[in-house]
Amino acid sequence: MTAPLPVRAQPGPADAGTAGAVIQTDALTKQYGHEVTALDGLTVAIAPGITGLVGANGAGKSTLIKILLGLLPPTSGRAATLGHDVASSGEQIRTLTGYMPEHDCLPPDVTGTEFVTHLGRMSGLPATAAKERAAESLRHVGLYEERYRQVGTYSTGMKQRVKLAQALVGDPRLLLLDEPTIGLDPSGRRSMLDLISRIGAEFGISIMVSSHLLGEIEQICDQLVVIDGGKLLRSDTMTSFTQVSQVLLIEVDEGTAELTAELAARGLAPRRSGRGLLVRIEDDATYDVVRDAVAGLGLPLNRLEQQRRRVEELFRDQGDSGEEAPGDH
Amino acid sequence: MTTNGGVASAGGVAAAGNGMTATGNGVAAAGGGGVIHDLGYRRYDGPRLGRAGIIRALYWHSLRSAFGIGRGAKAKIVPILVFIAMCLPAIVNAIAMAQQPGQTPVVDYDTYTYRLRTLVMLIFVAAQAPELVSRDLRSHVLPLYYSRPLRRLDYPLAKYIAFTAACLLVIEIPLIILYLGNILSAGGGSAVWGQTKALIPGLGVGVLWAVLLAAIGLVLASFTGRRAYATGLIAIYFFLTWILATILVNVATHGAGVGPPGAPGAPLSASLGARLPGLISPFTVLDGVRQWLGGTNPGPIPNPGNAGWAYGLMFLILLGGSLGGLAARYRKVGAS
Repeated sequence: MTAPLPVRAQPGPADAGTAGAVIQTDALTKQYGHEVTALDGLTVAIAPGITGLVGANGAGKSTLIKILLGLLPPTSGRAATLGHDVASSGEQIRTLTGYMPEHDCLPPDVTGTEFVTHLGRMSGLPATAAKERAAESLRHVGLYEERYRQVGTYSTGMKQRVKLAQALVGDPRLLLLDEPTIGLDPSGRRSMLDLISRIGAEFGISIMVSSHLLGEIEQICDQLVVIDGGKLLRSDTMTSFTQVSQVLLIEVDEGTAELTAELAARGLAPRRSGRGLLVRIEDDATYDVVRDAVAGLGLPLNRLEQQRRRVEELFRDQGDSGEEAPGDH
Repeated sequence: MTTNGGVASAGGVAAAGNGMTATGNGVAAAGGGGVIHDLGYRRYDGPRLGRAGIIRALYWHSLRSAFGIGRGAKAKIVPILVFIAMCLPAIVNAIAMAQQPGQTPVVDYDTYTYRLRTLVMLIFVAAQAPELVSRDLRSHVLPLYYSRPLRRLDYPLAKYIAFTAACLLVIEIPLIILYLGNILSAGGGSAVWGQTKALIPGLGVGVLWAVLLAAIGLVLASFTGRRAYATGLIAIYFFLTWILATILVNVATHGAGVGPPGAPGAPLSASLGARLPGLISPFTVLDGVRQWLGGTNPGPIPNPGNAGWAYGLMFLILLGGSLGGLAARYRKVGAS
């Protein structure tokens, strides 16, 4: 019953953010046999930009990606990628979409250049264009001289970059990246995320990036889709996620209890978090209220810190969950 | 005041090294209108090959890799040795014909020193079929093919056509050399015409060989991503069935008393017992079909006579079974 999906093949960068959905699913269900339900009535519309697809392992992320590529038939429901129905237009979708699988998929005994060139050919590029675009793609992901070495000699980070380059080589309008940071060390993850963010922002390519670490990809996403057990938990833009997630951490050496009472009296709702207090930042006036409260009580202020709470925490039940070391995992 | 988890500016590690190259690209026009920021990314708005073009590209890539082209020097050793070995009889024949023009050619077009051809093709298929399919299975690269504008069976199709073509080259080029050697020494147009008439069925037999051996080789190789196992599997299958068929034929032809004691096949009547064991091995099946279709030169098995249809049927069963197995294999691999 999905209405004809409006997005056509070329949502150029100019209309990013305003055009219709690049991905749209309608009551999408996928069952393996009778026992396993990988996706359960998933209905979601994803706008251009960078979208985080978040869920625990086994939540259905990879299944969703394969359905969106037209590789797996859904059990029921419908899905469209870049406006093309996944059931009938798989080849068109795969012409316009780059895919980076989660698992290792590189032969060790070819060079990065040879490999990406060949896959460029497989994306439909003529020989010369494939060579040129392979060189460019590898450069974009930050592989220079290394690209003439055999893939088997690459570090994990370089291999992930080659996987990204092969997804990019066919000049896709959409990238589907399945756990691109898996197996990387923190600095490798950081630079992979920067790279993805840059491709999304500057190359004008829409990206859906899956991860089981929400705290990680929320930093680069315009919107988030959270799934759990094949069901949609929440889908929204980052802005609306973060609007409710700006908090101020106040730590005083003593008198925390008095400060709690004082802040409550001044209309804030402080919450205990470890040794400090958390209050939600409504607007700039919040800072003044806190300052006045602390000053009025004459308390020794130790720390005043604005925190963007991880979206992860929004999904947790209320409780003593605000305190979590920044930069965990 | 720090901002926890704030978005870092886009100029991360990856972007840093790019300044030098971006300038060369200038402002790239976008395909659909509008201009992409000048950061070196260029849209591609040139022609794209359709599915058929991609299959052709994969075919060409696979054909090259069957001969180790585009790989290291080591990958070329087996194909080159195989090819030289296969050409030797034709070259020997050419030399002999040049020295004594007019004599009967040493080598036939349709059997072409069948023992050597069997051995050489066994080695070629066992060594190179895994090169085409096992490598990709081993490195799990198939999802990357499937995420491109190909259908599920396009990959095995391209591989099969490519490997058939590779086998054809190994089988038919020596026949052409043989033909050239013969006609260069032949006197008169009728002799040339006679050679040509003999060559054509020979080429036809070569096609049968290539079509069947490529299918069997690829389906066996597609069972495992380990090249060594795949090579072993193919070699053992070809070798054991060939040995078994040959022994049984020998036993039946020379009578039970001549063969090893207690060998099977003895109870059968001599003629039928000699005609049927050839169904065991793909190589003897190929020879049975050759004789059934009218080939008269002696081969590894006696003329199957009125059992010839069984060889034709067996050929189709082996070919259909192998191709069906290959298709089933790649349906399954792709779905996971």
